[in-house]
Amino acid sequence: MDDNNTEMDENNSELASDEIQSTPIDNDAKAVNIGSGVRIDGRIEGAETSDISGTLTGTLKSSNININSKGAFNGDMSGQEITISGSVDGEINSEDYLIVNNSANIKGVIEYNSLQVSYGAKIQGTLRHRGSVQSYSPVSTDAVKEDEIKENYEDDQ
Amino acid sequence: MALFGSSEKKPEVKTEFMFDTESTINQSTLAKDIKINGSLESTDYLDFSGHLTGTLKSSTINLKPGSYVKGTITADTITVEGEVDGDIQAKDIYIKSTAKIKGNIRYQNIDIQNGSIINADLFYSS
Repeated sequence: MDDNNTEMDENNSELASDEIQSTPIDNDAKAVNIGSGVRIDGRIEGAETSDISGTLTGTLKSSNININSKGAFNGDMSGQEITISGSVDGEINSEDYLIVNNSANIKGVIEYNSLQVSYGAKIQGTLRHRGSVQSYSPVSTDAVKEDEIKENYEDDQ
Repeated sequence: MALFGSSEKKPEVKTEFMFDTESTINQSTLAKDIKINGSLESTDYLDFSGHLTGTLKSSTINLKPGSYVKGTITADTITVEGEVDGDIQAKDIYIKSTAKIKGNIRYQNIDIQNGSIINADLFYSS
């Protein structure tokens, strides 16, 4: 029985070490992996791939982002290729494509270029297409008008 | 007696059912050249390719490529392949790659295809 247990442990540790060995020690792939049950608060920048199965609160900047079905993210994320299967509360900014799977639950603002949502996904918030010409900005014209009014006022004086 | 009775009833039920399906499902098609200002309502199935400013209501609505609706759309199931500027309310919404949507979307289930252009507020309700 004891032998069996130690064997099991060895098997587990072998599996774990295999996973570690599969990614280079220097991690030049710039991979971020947050395991399920792990909680992180903070800012992640410059990552290439991010796999989130735990909970991340803060800012995430990564080329590839995967929020897995157990994963939760609170805050702002930006990346090129983003896949959401878990829950997100905050802002998603995707430069390339965004895939929302049916298990996803998203609250917040989504800025996207190409979006695919599977039937069943829950999205509450605002969708903005990046390529679209956004509505005119009345602020700038108002500012010009104000300037004109000021100039006219000064001229009058 | 019992055998005779049942064999007499069966074909009756079948013919009734066939007549029912033919008479109760209404399918309307509105072509490209149709322009409507006001409200359009149908009870069953509507294929819409035209332009509408106002309100659109039906059980199932298919907004075909090239269609344009400015206003409010209410349906159980809606498939959008055209352009919408306004509010969409439906239980099931399917947004296809050719769709362009601006406004508010209230839904229970949503499916969005790659390529669609959506600038809208989404409201999910179970």
